Amino acid sequence: MDFKLGEKEDALREEIRKFAKAEIPPDFIYNFLDEESRDEDWAFTMSISKKLAQKGWLVMAWPKKYGGQEASYLEQMVMAMEATYWGIPGLGMGISGTAWVGPSLMMYGSEEQRQKYLPLIAAGDPDGVWCTGYSEPNAGSDFANIQTRAIREGDEYIVNGQKVWTSCAHRARWCWIAVVTDPNAAKRQHGISLLIVDMKSPGISIRPLLNYSGVHIFNEVFFDNVRVPAANLVGQENRGWYQLMQSLAYERHSVGAQIYGAGKRMLESLVEYAAETKENGVALSQNPVIRHKLAERAVELETLKMLSYEIAWKMGQGVIPIYEASRNKAYGDCLQERMANTGTEILGAYSQIDQNSKFARLKGAIQHLYLLFPGITIAAGTDEIEKNIIGQFKLGLPKSY
Amino acid sequence: MDFSFSEQQNMLRSEARRFLARECPKTKVKELEKDEKGYDSVVWRNMAEMGWMGLVFPEEYGGLNADFIDLMILMEEMGRNILPGPFFSTVALCALPILEYGNDSQKAEYLAPIGRGEKIWTLAMTELSGGYGASAIKAEAKLEGGEFVINGEKMFVPDANAADYLLVIARTAKGKVPDKGLTFFIVDARKPGTSIETIPTLTGERQSKVSFKNVKIAKEDILGKVGQGWDIVEYIMRKATVLKCAEVSGACQAVLDMSNTYAKERMQFGKPIGSFQVIQHKLVDMLIDIEGLQYLVYEAAWLLSTGAPCDLQIAITKARANEVYRSVALSGVKIHGAIGFTLDHDIGLYYRRVLGAESCLGDTDLHLEKVAVNIGL
Repeated sequence: MDFKLGEKEDALREEIRKFAKAEIPPDFIYNFLDEESRDEDWAFTMSISKKLAQKGWLVMAWPKKYGGQEASYLEQMVMAMEATYWGIPGLGMGISGTAWVGPSLMMYGSEEQRQKYLPLIAAGDPDGVWCTGYSEPNAGSDFANIQTRAIREGDEYIVNGQKVWTSCAHRARWCWIAVVTDPNAAKRQHGISLLIVDMKSPGISIRPLLNYSGVHIFNEVFFDNVRVPAANLVGQENRGWYQLMQSLAYERHSVGAQIYGAGKRMLESLVEYAAETKENGVALSQNPVIRHKLAERAVELETLKMLSYEIAWKMGQGVIPIYEASRNKAYGDCLQERMANTGTEILGAYSQIDQNSKFARLKGAIQHLYLLFPGITIAAGTDEIEKNIIGQFKLGLPKSY
Repeated sequence: MDFSFSEQQNMLRSEARRFLARECPKTKVKELEKDEKGYDSVVWRNMAEMGWMGLVFPEEYGGLNADFIDLMILMEEMGRNILPGPFFSTVALCALPILEYGNDSQKAEYLAPIGRGEKIWTLAMTELSGGYGASAIKAEAKLEGGEFVINGEKMFVPDANAADYLLVIARTAKGKVPDKGLTFFIVDARKPGTSIETIPTLTGERQSKVSFKNVKIAKEDILGKVGQGWDIVEYIMRKATVLKCAEVSGACQAVLDMSNTYAKERMQFGKPIGSFQVIQHKLVDMLIDIEGLQYLVYEAAWLLSTGAPCDLQIAITKARANEVYRSVALSGVKIHGAIGFTLDHDIGLYYRRVLGAESCLGDTDLHLEKVAVNIGL
């Protein structure tokens, strides 16, 4: 039993701090999700991705032959925590590539695929930006209900269908897509495969979907007779569902660490704000209600920190963190909600001000979180779906849906 | 980073779990709730034989020289099983501070009998308010003719009915700062002037009011230094709080296990109730809270074992333990439905014990306030 970070991790934290001071302008507004970057920020985000790659931080835990550092999962977790703490964009390379496409290709991709795609991701190259095509209009939580069809013709698949909520499709060079390859399979889960689609292929059209704040994060993506080389099948045909279950664990595993880093920063800024802000001549930090709300958030953050450490440690032991990743996402989601609520309550009337306005306090970060967190609780599996996974896989309970 | 326990620690845990299940089944827990002493002397003796009371004592005091984490493991298992009796009072509240603050002759005199299971101790600290602030301590000890004379009343003294000795904190000097001028005394429970009155509780645990009327204590029976008793309180608040949290964490795990098993067995509408999402998600929420609490306890125990400063983590852990125990125990009762509301069923044992654990060594508000101070508020 030992819960301290090693010298390596401590040195890394210090280096990240220096990097943030040197590379991130003080007026930069950090959005938590890279894919939220507006056009004018995207170039900056990608320039940071490139620099992170040069530092060897973008895909730290990957093998050296694919552009990684063979760092421990613990170091990678420290990276995730510190990047969100300091507000460093670019670590997600849009979304998908660094977090799960890479690890998935290493688990069940072919060697050719690894050599072709991994170095692009590792280098922070624009051609290493991925999006993920899972959800469809009638396949949200019921993911096995996807209809997008891929029919083999010679050495190609012909893909037809529609994906939705595809984050970053408008920036991505590749799409990691789940398709139906056997519509007659006895179980739907046995007819799904994973393909890599070049987003420059003819037949792909992208329609932006704006979220309720008017921000362009995700899209609808239409596939009309898109020809995909058969060599772009990932793993085995019709085994996609089972491969995906592992990928999703990767997708979710670092969410907790990211939320921790961002949450810690937010708590610190709220503590500072409460000390500086007076109401009726008394600092907010003297108000027992506010003191206890912030203390409760500190309790939850410490809990999330330990849950994040545990996942990194287990992954280092060779465990694929299926239920743990769901647990951390569900807990992290809950923490974000409470942090947003506490923050907006403390800001009071100032919480309604546009994030970019000169009147906004704390760079608008609190109201930004308030608007963002419901989306995070839904992305990569709703809380309810996470809880179904935990119920079945950890508690051994019967399927509940 | 290492979340695993050593092989020895895993053995200690499995031995403890087996021993407690065998020697202290729930039928016995229920019997002991009505028992005057509140514990089983045979079980107590067997625990001593296994070295549990002296687990962390050095060998020279008959101990096993084990680590604080080992003691935490024991407490977690005792919480899981429910072990009525004065283990926590004797070991966590008294033996640990004697080990830390006692002089050589005190350690030599008192530790070995504790280790052998011959003497039972408890801490007489809280007074009328039941809280843990220094200003609440009004009991006085006055130096008269080379002896201290204690007068005052202590409330919520755990296991005092069974205790041979009491560690009593009293005011030896009055000043503006409430945590100055406090001193700890080692008091033989049979000393003239000491009277113990049972406070009936709902938790099955023994609490007493202890009154001191002109109780004369020799100077040698001071623990630590005169006027510096609050240091010892803080020491107890660190170590014993983490052990109490371990007990709570173990109890929560038991509630989850029982509820999960029940949810798989209990059929309604032709299906196990665990197949209904409302029940399943309640169980999952319990699991998430419990695993988080477990790791907080482990972190705090580990920090203590390394000697690193960890007041923030301890306060966080107790605040969390209080909240998690309350909600997990309630969910446990609800998942069991009406049967969980009965005396016959075991789940209520845990639900009732929430009230004792929550107030022990600081309620949620006290610890949240400590957290607030520690994060810079």
